[in-house]
Amino acid sequence: MSLALAIETSCDDTAAAVVDSSWHVHSSVIESSIDQHRAFGGVVPELAGRAHLTTIAPVVRAALEGAGLDPHAPAIDVVAVTSGPGLIGSLLIGLSAAKAYSLAWELPFVGVNHLEGHLFAPLLERPELEWPLLTLLVSGGHSLIVLQLAPGEHVVLGETIDDAAGEAYDKVARWLGLSYPGGPEIDRLAVSGAADALNLPVSMTGDDFDLSFSGLKTAVVRATQKHPEVALADVAASFQAAVAEQLLRKLRRALETHPEVRGLALAGGVAANSALRRGVGEIAADAGVGAYLPSLAMCTDNAAMIAAAGLHRFAVSGPSDLGLSARPNWSLTEVS
Amino acid sequence: MFSRRCVDEAATQAAGEDFAALLRPGDVVLLAGPLGAGKTTFVKGVARALGVVERVTSPTFTMVRQHEAHNDLGIETLHHADVYRVESLGEVLDLDLGELVEESAVALVEWGDLASSVFGREVLTLDVVPDEDGDARTLRVGGSIDAARQAALTRWSRT
Repeated sequence: MSLALAIETSCDDTAAAVVDSSWHVHSSVIESSIDQHRAFGGVVPELAGRAHLTTIAPVVRAALEGAGLDPHAPAIDVVAVTSGPGLIGSLLIGLSAAKAYSLAWELPFVGVNHLEGHLFAPLLERPELEWPLLTLLVSGGHSLIVLQLAPGEHVVLGETIDDAAGEAYDKVARWLGLSYPGGPEIDRLAVSGAADALNLPVSMTGDDFDLSFSGLKTAVVRATQKHPEVALADVAASFQAAVAEQLLRKLRRALETHPEVRGLALAGGVAANSALRRGVGEIAADAGVGAYLPSLAMCTDNAAMIAAAGLHRFAVSGPSDLGLSARPNWSLTEVS
Repeated sequence: MFSRRCVDEAATQAAGEDFAALLRPGDVVLLAGPLGAGKTTFVKGVARALGVVERVTSPTFTMVRQHEAHNDLGIETLHHADVYRVESLGEVLDLDLGELVEESAVALVEWGDLASSVFGREVLTLDVVPDEDGDARTLRVGGSIDAARQAALTRWSRT
């Protein structure tokens, strides 16, 4: 059995975790700088970079101590780190730290794709779940539908052609004058609103699995300008219903197209959304397949999932070169 | 000031495609306009005409995306940036877009009006002004326009 220390700094959270190759999480520590970003209505890259710089060493130390390891000479086998996609300044801090630890402790290190990390979350929380999985990966930076044949073997069926789902939530929330991050605020308001208050289009009704949220964002802006009298809760409910409708419709179609699928999985920050969780649960129940709805801690960026993906990549392809650079736009389709 | 009316999303993309023909290596274009006005749609059109094969998606998350371009304008790279999330001008300086475009590239910067002081006067500006009602919008081009470009823009605005 091997043990990995993982570091994740792709966006606003600084995270470190220790996980073993039986997918047991020994420790997982997350330090968020979200309070600093709230004042600005979004992640401020420079703030994120500065926050990572001050929190990275204490977070790594806490993860090692939490796993009962010597923080100066931990008995681990590999250092895994997110090397993309994400904000370049934030990625570089985690990557440089991982390289430094790997050199100091004379351990191999491996660069991990952040999105592939999300795909490993079901193994950590629901190891009994039957595969292949059909995964809806939705966050502030990404929106994809992925067919997961086996751990580390995945096919991207479709992805957003413009904005990410979480980005649409944040931008619409900012437009409505709600606080950042926009997802939880809109979700909370939507509960008491009428989803048919605004007539919003459901985008991407074609046969492929690509997604689009830019048109919906524009439609919300137009509709609220035209009907300023519509209550905030009703706008939130209408927007949320349109987002969920598009995502769930595509997921249902993907499931029909791939009858070999044994389970549905949600991943990414938007996986915390109540409408999506309910919808995915219903589709899975109707189709008689399993459903993985991640815990809140697993929806947000964390290093445990990076450790899991890192253990797999290390076992399959060996260590990364110390010259590895950060890749801010690293697509999941380029992972092999 | 040159302007062109676009009745819908397809027309906005077409305006972007036509606009690409008057770009030269080294150009920085600052795009302005409210949320959902069609800035990314316009960039999609430019990218298409510049021979960008890969998909152009919102750069908000990573702030800048690079796309390889294939055209006979000498433009090999399209930098698509978005300073929507940026709060300090220092961060825009850090992106170094002025430097990036020196090497056979152009940069299109969404919400660029928020950071115009960083880019100096040698830039083109494109404002997307949506109608109060309906899907139509007006594109307005300004900034550093020389004589050659003036003629091309006159044609562009009459299309």
